[in-house]
Amino acid sequence: MSNLLSVQQLDIAFGKHQVLHQVSFDVAAGHIVALVGPNGAGKSTIMKAVLGLISIDHGHLTIDSHPVSMTSHEALKQVGALIEYPGIYPFLTGRQHLELFADKENREANIEQVIKALHMTDYIDHKAKLYSLGMKQKLGIAQALVDRPKLVILDEPMNGLDPEAVKQLRDYIRQLASEGTSFLISSHILSELEKLADDVLFLDQGHIIRQTSMAELVTSGGTSYHITTADDADAKSRLIALGLPVLTDDTDPEKIILLQKTPQTLNQALHTLLTANIEIVDIVKVQHDLEESFLDMVNHQQEVK
Amino acid sequence: MGTLIKQEIYKLTHKKGTWFAIGLMILVQVAFALMQHSNPKLYGLESLVNNDYLGGGIYLFIMIASAASIIAMEFQYGTIKQLLYRQYYRSQIFISKLIVLFMQLVVLQVIASLVSFMLTAIFSPNFDWMQKVGSNTFLHQYLVGILGNGLVNCLLLSVVILIATLLKTNAAAITSGFIGYFVSMAASGIILVLINKWHWLRFNPFTMLMTSSQLLTPSMSKVTLMSTPLMVSLTIGYAVLFTVIAYLSFRKRHV
Repeated sequence: MSNLLSVQQLDIAFGKHQVLHQVSFDVAAGHIVALVGPNGAGKSTIMKAVLGLISIDHGHLTIDSHPVSMTSHEALKQVGALIEYPGIYPFLTGRQHLELFADKENREANIEQVIKALHMTDYIDHKAKLYSLGMKQKLGIAQALVDRPKLVILDEPMNGLDPEAVKQLRDYIRQLASEGTSFLISSHILSELEKLADDVLFLDQGHIIRQTSMAELVTSGGTSYHITTADDADAKSRLIALGLPVLTDDTDPEKIILLQKTPQTLNQALHTLLTANIEIVDIVKVQHDLEESFLDMVNHQQEVK
Repeated sequence: MGTLIKQEIYKLTHKKGTWFAIGLMILVQVAFALMQHSNPKLYGLESLVNNDYLGGGIYLFIMIASAASIIAMEFQYGTIKQLLYRQYYRSQIFISKLIVLFMQLVVLQVIASLVSFMLTAIFSPNFDWMQKVGSNTFLHQYLVGILGNGLVNCLLLSVVILIATLLKTNAAAITSGFIGYFVSMAASGIILVLINKWHWLRFNPFTMLMTSSQLLTPSMSKVTLMSTPLMVSLTIGYAVLFTVIAYLSFRKRHV
């Protein structure tokens, strides 16, 4: 499948503070890519760079093979976005916002479709200054989607939405993706991203620490074992010495959390412990969701440092 | 660029304030015309007509508010990103806003003039627009006044736009614009005294606020120590300079 968005070797610094380090990833046509990371990881900075809102120090950004930068915006004609929070003119109605930014081609039909898809009919003709946070958020998303762009960039799109609205948005994004629209989405609501995204990019302190498909994450990298032994401290030090991926729980530093990197990981660990005559008391298999995988990964990064 | 200009006009025409301000301007013009009609000794008719029955002053206030808010509102409402991430460049967005401001300036002046013509025709049907004022007709002087005021207003608005690009809210930018206007008006007398003492001071931008007066009264060149063409050129030059600085500031603003 061809890549609609390509980000290669992206470096960005604000003054002396390096915000992004050699960030590279692609978004294929019709794919939904989740950008996951703690606050300050650089998610919004990547999105702003893709949208030509900030200058980059090094690297290449292309949309549909056309370069994008602060001084090259032509390719952004195919992009819709909601960054950080929706920009709303309080003196306009929701419909007027859509009329303001919608392209001439199929304007009315596109506006009606997005209003219907996001269930905004009841209040779309009210002044936006009367909108709740969730209504404003929906309007911001509608503005990003109204022109049926090839690439949509959504920063925390679920902010302020109630569960029903989240589901409506998820269904609509899925529908558009199946019709060929690509999405780059960041959110702190990882359970939602898990239901939505095809691929996941884990970002920490400006580095991409893992890039995988959601299916792969859940089936392979998303499994860990919590092992209890007669002597956890000794067992843990032996496993770490062997180079096995053992994570640390800050609330219980001796607890053994073994991340299944390969199908042989558990076998290797058990063999090591049995050889050392350490009694194994209990083994609990934990199938990780996106949230746990994210926390594991961030914890592992901190341990590496 | 055409799309951007249409978007700016859309926003401007959908603000209630735009129509309210025009209504207020016409109301003030009608009120002064009525007062002059009921008590001719209260205001000189020629002076009132020259000033569009005070409509000229009102429309400058409207323009200060518009110039201040046209950029500051995008930052205040968080809409600036929506403008910038599209296929347009900051220069195009900035220029489209300037064009719409200029269009608004022209439209307001046309409305003020049309209302003045109508009020004069209704309340003073015998008023002679072709009467001699010095070596020219009254109508000629009226049109020269409009041209001069237009130049000075462009200078003032360029300063307001500059302030607005540096500030983050409408209210702060509008307040700065109004204060700047009143201070500069009050300072004109002091400036003439200072120019008389230090001749080089005549080139300061505040002196250019008297360009309109000098266009109507060329003998003012004796106190401004500048020819009228030089003053006109410097007025345009300063307006362009402040606008360019405003653009550079707008280009560097983080979003």
